[in-house]
Amino acid sequence: MQVAYVVVLLVLLIAGCAPVAPETPASEPPIVAVQPATTQPPTKPVAPATQKPATQPAAPVRRQPAPAPAPASAPRSVAPRAPAAPPALDLATLKAQLKDTKAIGVFTKITLKNQVDDLLDRFRAYYEGKAKFSMTELRRSYDLLMMKVLSLLQDDDQKLASLIVSSREAIWGLLADPKKFATLEV
Amino acid sequence: MNTRTRALVQFLIVAALFAVPSFAADEEELKKDLTAVIALHGLPCGQVVAVKVQAEDDYAASCKDGNKYRVYLNAAGRVVVEAQK
Repeated sequence: MQVAYVVVLLVLLIAGCAPVAPETPASEPPIVAVQPATTQPPTKPVAPATQKPATQPAAPVRRQPAPAPAPASAPRSVAPRAPAAPPALDLATLKAQLKDTKAIGVFTKITLKNQVDDLLDRFRAYYEGKAKFSMTELRRSYDLLMMKVLSLLQDDDQKLASLIVSSREAIWGLLADPKKFATLEV
Repeated sequence: MNTRTRALVQFLIVAALFAVPSFAADEEELKKDLTAVIALHGLPCGQVVAVKVQAEDDYAASCKDGNKYRVYLNAAGRVVVEAQK
């Protein structure tokens, strides 16, 4: 009896762990269902033309689906969806979000911070006239570091990755301007 | 007493069911983390397949391509990756 109880408990636990597929497609059919309702008025003018053979009710019914502007108007209502560009980040927000993201492990975060600090040191050396490298080389290093960050984020935190992409040039603007760079507190 | 023992056994079984996947997930996360760290240092690895904890923030990582690395956090707060034979 006790064994049966344990078995039932285990079965319940395993069943509870089974993944449940979300019913996301349910949101799409209503859109399709609404569109024929909106396209009915355009089909009404066609109907009077078919009223001549009033004794044949089957013919108008067949002709109603024939005028296919209904599906043509359907994409018009869906197509105008344009992805809104995410707002650009400043360095403090970027730093905070990179700290909080779960897409990157702790050691990886520390390594990235080390590399960001190294890059900032190179900028500092460049502005102090102690460096032998050019701004073009600094830009290359910056792009490489950004690519590293993006490649780490793009699979597991696409939102942050897209935010970084959108603020990429803004951050470069801060780094490439000696006056703005001097005010940075990173 | 007998009933208590059985209840304890049941509890341990349930705890083990939850604990084993948790440990496995943690280890996979660590492997993924160390794989990224080694790649960020520009060193060949492919993928970390085994990790041995040597001390706190000090790991010995074995890669899929046969390379072995010691990954640790030094006193200056930098992550260091050293190739090992």
